[in-house]
Amino acid sequence: MPHPPQIILRFFRWYVHPKLRDSIEGDLIELYRERVREKGKRKADILFAADVLLCLRRGIIRPAEGHQQINTYGMLKNYFTIGWRSLLKQRMYSAIKIGGFALGIAACILISLFIKDELSYDKQYPNANRIYRVIGVGNHNGQLSKGVHFQPPMAKALREEYIEIEKVGRYNNVELFGAANAEVRRADQMENLYEDHITFIDQELFDIFQPKFIYGNPAKALAEPLSVVLTRSKAEKYYPGENPLGKSLIFNDDKARPFTIGGVIEDLPPNTHLPFDIFLTLSGWEFWKGEQTSWCCSNYPTYIKIKEGTDPHELAKKITKGVIDKYIIPMLKEEGRSDIDEIVKNSWIELQPVTDIHLKSEGIWDGLSHGDIRFVWLFSAVAAFILIIASINFINLSTARSANRAKEVGLRKVVGSVRSNLVGQFLAESLLYSVLSFVFGLVLAILLLPYFNIVASKSLEMPWLDWWFVPALVAASLFVGVLAGIYPALYLSSFRPIQVLKGNLSMGSRSSSLRGGLVVFQFTISIVLIVGTFIIYRQMNFILNKKLGYDKQQVLYMEGTHMLGNQIQTFKEELKKLPMVKSVSISDYLPVRGTKRNGNQFSLEGRGKIDKPVSGQFWRIDHDYIKTLGMHITDGRDFDRDMASDSSAALINQEMVKQLGLKDPLGARIVNYSQTWTVIGVVENFNFESLKHNIDPVMLTLGNSPTIVSMKISSEDLQGTIASVTEVWKKFAPNQPARFAFLDESYARMYDDVKRMGKIFTSFAVFAIIVACLGLFALSAFMVEQRSKEISIRLVLGASMNNIVRLLTQNFMALIMISIVLATPIAWYVMQKWLEDFAFRVEMSWEIFLVAGLLSILIAIVTISFQAIRAALTNPVNGLRSE
Amino acid sequence: MKQYQLGEFEEVVMLTVGVLYDKAYGVAIKKEIESRLRRSVSVGALQSALARLEQKGYLKSYEGEASEERAGRPKKFFQITAYGRKAIEFTRKTREELWSDIPKVALKLIMG
Repeated sequence: MPHPPQIILRFFRWYVHPKLRDSIEGDLIELYRERVREKGKRKADILFAADVLLCLRRGIIRPAEGHQQINTYGMLKNYFTIGWRSLLKQRMYSAIKIGGFALGIAACILISLFIKDELSYDKQYPNANRIYRVIGVGNHNGQLSKGVHFQPPMAKALREEYIEIEKVGRYNNVELFGAANAEVRRADQMENLYEDHITFIDQELFDIFQPKFIYGNPAKALAEPLSVVLTRSKAEKYYPGENPLGKSLIFNDDKARPFTIGGVIEDLPPNTHLPFDIFLTLSGWEFWKGEQTSWCCSNYPTYIKIKEGTDPHELAKKITKGVIDKYIIPMLKEEGRSDIDEIVKNSWIELQPVTDIHLKSEGIWDGLSHGDIRFVWLFSAVAAFILIIASINFINLSTARSANRAKEVGLRKVVGSVRSNLVGQFLAESLLYSVLSFVFGLVLAILLLPYFNIVASKSLEMPWLDWWFVPALVAASLFVGVLAGIYPALYLSSFRPIQVLKGNLSMGSRSSSLRGGLVVFQFTISIVLIVGTFIIYRQMNFILNKKLGYDKQQVLYMEGTHMLGNQIQTFKEELKKLPMVKSVSISDYLPVRGTKRNGNQFSLEGRGKIDKPVSGQFWRIDHDYIKTLGMHITDGRDFDRDMASDSSAALINQEMVKQLGLKDPLGARIVNYSQTWTVIGVVENFNFESLKHNIDPVMLTLGNSPTIVSMKISSEDLQGTIASVTEVWKKFAPNQPARFAFLDESYARMYDDVKRMGKIFTSFAVFAIIVACLGLFALSAFMVEQRSKEISIRLVLGASMNNIVRLLTQNFMALIMISIVLATPIAWYVMQKWLEDFAFRVEMSWEIFLVAGLLSILIAIVTISFQAIRAALTNPVNGLRSE
Repeated sequence: MKQYQLGEFEEVVMLTVGVLYDKAYGVAIKKEIESRLRRSVSVGALQSALARLEQKGYLKSYEGEASEERAGRPKKFFQITAYGRKAIEFTRKTREELWSDIPKVALKLIMG
């Protein structure tokens, strides 16, 4: 017998109403066979296909909602009613499910806001994708150093010689030049105010970043020499309620050169990498004569905006070759260097997209504070883990308590529910939980946000007004609900009605190995987080208490003292007369961040063109510096007032000795540019940069650097000391507010970012552990409930409380042990990676893991034993009565 | 009036079911209509009309035996219900009334 084409028949069966299927299919086949006989197979096939297509009619096609249900509203309502009732019936378990979820969701919301903010940096500029920062890379025997500072004429060269480049702009906030911070006042007032976010910039940098102008012409605001642009808040500070355009400001009491306000811009958003609020023009400005045309010194971060369709990699190659050939080689030749080829081969230019600056500037020395893409990853992972832990609670509790729902499932099946209905029911229930959890989680996140902002030093807000926020929350709650609910739904709906109704189902034991696995997973994550927290804290402590090579305790320093001019020495003498001041030193260079730094080249006399020069710091100090800061001279002597020759003498640190390869450092003669210095002493290495970096060579010489006065004090009464010093200061500079800082506090501030990350990490670790413990608590409660008869019998037969508690905890203890074993290598690896960031770091030791392991066991025991002891203390009659 | 709504094709199907009496199933109905009215009828059109008529209560159906010719699928036979009979009779009556009320002249004129 001939058969019609299967595919068409299958199509027909797919769409036809099941009630009509057999009879119509019979008609079709009968006709088909008749036609095959009369007209041949080919024609019959075609006519068959046509008939099938013509059957696509209302009344024949299967109704969309399926044949069993006409209206699902009633069922859905029932699902939610039952869900709500079972939620209320088991208040403790429901509270734990929802509470754990809510904590997880709050953590996720906060972390997402944090990550979103981190990722939003520098995206706001028009055509941000065409803006690049120029990076200079140097290869020192395989170690790459990346810098952003270029010579002043670099910008001009780029602008004029590369048609691919549309605009070039620079800034300069080198403190040495009086940029970065200054005492500022209106030209018509005497009182100075201190500003520390000042920079010199090109008009063209504004053309690139296009800030929003409130007053002034954006294209010409900084075009004139001696013009300045303020942000709105600074304008309000100096000219409240006025339009300051055309008014003058005086910087550092330089009355001869007042700056005229050429514009006011909106405050820069917090998510920009350039945190400035006062912009002085570079137009017509020179920090010294000939500075702007000299290729000697690199002080200018340089930005370019390229034309559309330019390949930045090609351009970078072109610039590398062009600039080196045209400018760098001639300059090196002029200096008479012998290693020109070497230098040229190991230096090149890269272009960094402006949007990468905030998160991907690891290893680029730009003096700005940055985020770190690794933290973004780390925090995303932590957020995901917390959510997973909460979901695991949900899964564990739902399946563990499945016995309670088994009868319901059986009965529903008997009266005609198919499996998909039951899956739908349990998913609806888990959606109910997840929506409730989202509501609580959101409330929690709103309540925690202010604290989180303090810890993370951000100003995050709930983005209610963004169009995506509410839909995203809804979508996330649905997603999480389905994710956490799918396994319990499949599991619960798989019960066989007869077995369940006969009462054969062993109470929720089937998936106990899965449950065990999930508990192990939860605790492994928790232990990794505990270890991480410990190590971060140990490293913090190590940093804050490390022997630094100087004494940071009880050192008070004042900034802005250069305003005193010639009177500074008298001021120093006056301070010395105070009883609580032990010694006083004038120097801008202190071993904490935020004071002056520079980059210099040193070589031994006569070997300047042979050896590779040593790069390091060149600090100007006075006779009392070493004493005031408690540094140690390991060899030779300190500067001496009675030795006139000390004006060309130098102290060097041990690192300099090492790098110059000096056998006998005393008396060595060291060249820095054109000057030669004689070493009179060696200072023990001291940390002046973050402990993330190694100690660089430093040379200390006598010299005038009057911005900072530091004093070693002996009194415990810090407030009193500050008051006395202020009194002295007022005598000298009545119009000038005094700014004080303590060296140890400034030092601690250098590690704010590490501390901040530590705090964030700790808070989320605590979150994760709480959620995991909630789960363990509920599981143990469940287990006690399940074994209540057994426990009662044991108690009747004379078991002690000890026996019972041990019986109940040992299962879980085994799981925790496995977690410890799993967590140790993971934590070891992750934290080793983190510690590699620090040149000076604590060693990872086994005690940390021991303590973390013991702690997690302790937490688990406390959690479980609450239930276990309660079980052991109940009257055994209660457990046995019912039979 | 409204309750006996019957389309032209539906009426033809009803009548044919009546003609075939106890042999009225899909293919037979189709062939009968095709031979009497000399027009082709698709399975889809016929079946949807049958389904409609059955839903309205004019026809009822029962399953016949399965045969090898139909690859084991049963035939579905249709019968006119009492209600269905009323419907076709109503239609017929209205038609006849209409016929009888046409003035002779009118028909003559057209024919002439």
